[in-house]
Amino acid sequence: MNDGKGLIFNIQKYAIHDGPGIRTSVFMKGCPLYCKWCSNPESQRAHPEIMTYDIRCISCHRCEEICPVNAISFNEKRRQIDWEKCDNCFKCSGECPSKAIERIGNYLTVDEVLNEVLADEIFYRNSGGGMTVSGGEPLLQWEFVAELCRKAKEKGIHTVLDTCGFASWNVMEKVLKHVDLVLFDVKHMAATKHKEGTGVDNELIMSNAGKTAALVRTWFRVPLIPGFNDSPEDIRKIAEFARSLHIEKVSLLPYHELGSSKYAKIGKTYSMDGLIPTDEEKLKTATAIFESHGLKVEKER
Amino acid sequence: MITAEELRKTLTIKGVRNVRRGMETKDDAERGMYRPEVRIGMERGRFLTESYKMTEGEPMVIRRAKALEHILRNMTIYIQDHECIVGNYAESPHDIFMPIDMTWRSFRRAVVEEDGKSLLDDKGKAELQELCRYWDGKSVRDIQVKAFEGCPQLDKYWQYEGTYLWSHWYGLGVPDYEKLLKIGLKGILAQIEERLQEIRNTIPYDYFQQKNFLEAAAMSIKAVIAWAHRYADKARELAGSEKNPQRKKELEAIAATCDRVPENPARTFQEALQSFYFVHCVTRQIEFVSTGIGIRFDLCMGPFYKKDIEAGRITRGDALDLLKRLWIKFEGQGFAYSQTLSGIYGGVQTLSAMNIGGVDRDGNDVTNEMTYLVLDTAKEMMTLQPNITLRIHKGTPTELFNRATDVIATGVGYPSLFNDEALVPLLQRWGSPLEEARDYAMAGCVYIEIPGKNGHRRMAGYFNLAKCLWWALHRGINPKTGEQYGAPTKDPATFKSIEEVMDAFLEQVRFFVHKMIQIEEVTRSVYEEYLPLPFLSAVTKGCIERGKDLGSFKDPNDGICNYAVAAGQANVADALAAIRKFVFDNKEISMKELIAVLDKNWAGNEVLHQKILTQAPKFGNNDDYVDQICNFVHCKTEEIIEEIADKYGARYHFDGSVVSTGYSLGADTPATPDGRRDGDELSDASLSPMIGRDVKGPTAVLASCAKIDPLKGYNQLLNQRFLPQFLKGANKDVFVNYLKSWRDLRIPHIQFNVVDSETLRDAQKHPEKYTNLVVRVAGYSAYFVDLSKGLQDSIISRTEQGF
Repeated sequence: MNDGKGLIFNIQKYAIHDGPGIRTSVFMKGCPLYCKWCSNPESQRAHPEIMTYDIRCISCHRCEEICPVNAISFNEKRRQIDWEKCDNCFKCSGECPSKAIERIGNYLTVDEVLNEVLADEIFYRNSGGGMTVSGGEPLLQWEFVAELCRKAKEKGIHTVLDTCGFASWNVMEKVLKHVDLVLFDVKHMAATKHKEGTGVDNELIMSNAGKTAALVRTWFRVPLIPGFNDSPEDIRKIAEFARSLHIEKVSLLPYHELGSSKYAKIGKTYSMDGLIPTDEEKLKTATAIFESHGLKVEKER
Repeated sequence: MITAEELRKTLTIKGVRNVRRGMETKDDAERGMYRPEVRIGMERGRFLTESYKMTEGEPMVIRRAKALEHILRNMTIYIQDHECIVGNYAESPHDIFMPIDMTWRSFRRAVVEEDGKSLLDDKGKAELQELCRYWDGKSVRDIQVKAFEGCPQLDKYWQYEGTYLWSHWYGLGVPDYEKLLKIGLKGILAQIEERLQEIRNTIPYDYFQQKNFLEAAAMSIKAVIAWAHRYADKARELAGSEKNPQRKKELEAIAATCDRVPENPARTFQEALQSFYFVHCVTRQIEFVSTGIGIRFDLCMGPFYKKDIEAGRITRGDALDLLKRLWIKFEGQGFAYSQTLSGIYGGVQTLSAMNIGGVDRDGNDVTNEMTYLVLDTAKEMMTLQPNITLRIHKGTPTELFNRATDVIATGVGYPSLFNDEALVPLLQRWGSPLEEARDYAMAGCVYIEIPGKNGHRRMAGYFNLAKCLWWALHRGINPKTGEQYGAPTKDPATFKSIEEVMDAFLEQVRFFVHKMIQIEEVTRSVYEEYLPLPFLSAVTKGCIERGKDLGSFKDPNDGICNYAVAAGQANVADALAAIRKFVFDNKEISMKELIAVLDKNWAGNEVLHQKILTQAPKFGNNDDYVDQICNFVHCKTEEIIEEIADKYGARYHFDGSVVSTGYSLGADTPATPDGRRDGDELSDASLSPMIGRDVKGPTAVLASCAKIDPLKGYNQLLNQRFLPQFLKGANKDVFVNYLKSWRDLRIPHIQFNVVDSETLRDAQKHPEKYTNLVVRVAGYSAYFVDLSKGLQDSIISRTEQGF
């Protein structure tokens, strides 16, 4: 269907938190996990979808007129979307003059993506940066990602894979061949808790983490979710696991609510409303625990 | 050691507030043009006038020298308690300087009207009226208006209309400080005497002019030497009654220093600083009133510091202490701007750039301990003046990048970075020999000079590319009045391709640039005849040898001479891209329909307006479609400006520095096809993308800028705004590497605002909490609270880079 194209929802330039140096991050769309706190909910579905920005709407009614399934209506000033009816035909986003409805997710070829990445080559050279493939979960589109990384490396571009690790090892191995560094997301060490927060078991993830770390340079990325995994006990377990795998560095991602407003824009409901962002104290405690396990810690704000 | 805080307390901030343009709120009008404690210094005008009255009928150059002598002999001099480097231009530290010999009407108007009424008390206002009566018909501005009289073309086109802003601005020539420090004014005087002796033997055809010039130069040099001795006497007098032994010692050192320099060669670091400051003060604020420094500070001062350190005369701390006291002198300066000029120079005190880094004449990196001392001083003082410009080249040490980043991270807006890899070849293309090209420096905020060489340089004014495009869409006819004001280009309804639009645009550019430069050339003749500068000429290369004032010749090897500042480059590129896409590629709308929508300021077709904003390619996003158009606009504009030469045959060039005219000229520019509405600002520098339209991050901005030929125009300024956290901690390395890539891309310039929007918005609400908050406006920094609400909003809306 996609002729070897990848479904991508964003290519971010000057990304400086996704590995060393100045990087270009390629965000693949579609994820097998449904983390409740996900700050990029538009990354989850493995198909293109529409995203709405009410603030940009100039009430020209063109979307309403063109929608073939009558999913769009206007009451008073506001435009309403009947998300049940929407079948992602993208006629509205094509017609909208002010980008108040946008299509999220485009199918691009490896070369198209690579050209975007190569545009910033001079910045990688000076800063020791490169390309990071993130998501969503890149391994859902592993063939595309493996080819993208292979070609990037061929061009001398440093490659980073940012993954949740939920894929068959067979697949993962094929991608890792072309990857210089893995940012491996670790959310919780307890299986039940993990399933509760992300929708999947962590057994496969843990086993892949071990194998990955043995094969490629690996950093852990740990989102600090208040009340979910930020107790000293939970942190300590992750730290022990990281130490046992001789992980080089742990990046801590404090929880923030910046993604919460996106849920309504794609017709979803945010289940963690009211959760308070990670405070400095918690961040300090977590940092101390990791450091006491001999791990290098980086905080991403 | 004195602290920055103690020094700041002594200070009266003299930044001008932009009035007229953008005075949207009542508050803006009520706060006036300057802070309430600021006054206009009257002594210069008073003594100048006295002298002029006594010398009527004498050769102008002699009159100027006598006037300088009269001012320096009679003006009040003072030494403040915190000073170790001395020199003042007006009778009190609260005073700004006023060039009454250039123009007087605007100052008289300002002090009568609400904007500037606090600048003088009743007695001062009465004296100003009296002085103005004398200058009526005699200021260069009056003479020039008289020169325009009777010529309908000149009369019509010198008035401000919005397509260009022609301004009275004299050259920023940089004194030959290296020579001054090496041989002293006494050495220069000897050269003048020698030259006089020579012409007495050879008797050249212009013997009379040369003799007058050389005698005037000698007179002015003697006057400056005598003036310095007045400070020595003053310091001795103060030392006599000083109880504090530490201060007594300082005053004695001041006395010894002022007895020594600028008359003699400087021997120590303090003597070098003092000699430099005296000459700066006379050339910029007393002989005539202009701006800029232009010294390559680390190159000139580094050796004196090194010698003192090696001899054990001073410590690094002592040097830092002296530098801080020098810095506060610059921060205390202020210029009387007219209300109109305040629109260009919103927030400006003076525009004085100190240069560090880069290569020397032989191509070696100049970085020395003085380079770092300048950065340390800047970081501690956080003053607007002097503004630091840092030259970067392939061999710039990483340590210097790091230390510069620390200063940029404070948010003070400098150092602004200039790229030797782009500018040295550019100056060579314009005719500078390699050694001289390597010696370039910024004098004002960004105005490029070869220090010590030929000060006769002047810009012809600011012109508005976006308005030129607008004229091209209206056949040069003002739709409101029906008047044929611009070039009679073709009916836009007949345009069949984007090339035809471009042709009409370039025709308008040619038309208006010629008009502006004609006005400028007439003005230059007025300046040449009525405002010779014997002292500045004496300390400028080539004048003594030729026996000529710097306004009367042009060094044939001097690559930089004339320039016209062009605003709105990105807007025109975006506009042309929008026309190309919507009219010629997609055929969604005809030229005629588009122009009709523009004439209604987009009313009635918001759908098209939104489509152009969201779908037309915009400069700054690494999109070839529009970036190539931008380079075309840039190169063609430079070629058109280059067609014009001054009377010495020196070409004019494109300057992209824009200052804050993007904001003020924008106010008089109707809606343009890039999606701008009537009166909206223009992009803030020639390389800066239009505000808010660069959405792909800072690397895409640089990639777009790198497509603009660096060997065409100059002062291709790029303003970037970063969030503070992107320059700190682990991100600092990344930022430094970003700068290195900027260098490798051969982009001529970059400067940064490092402050988050939240802070700026809070400062708008609570200005009292942020009196010292500094932002980068254009080629200069300003105190945020001194800017009008509109200009503040403009700074806030610049795209924040970072992720």
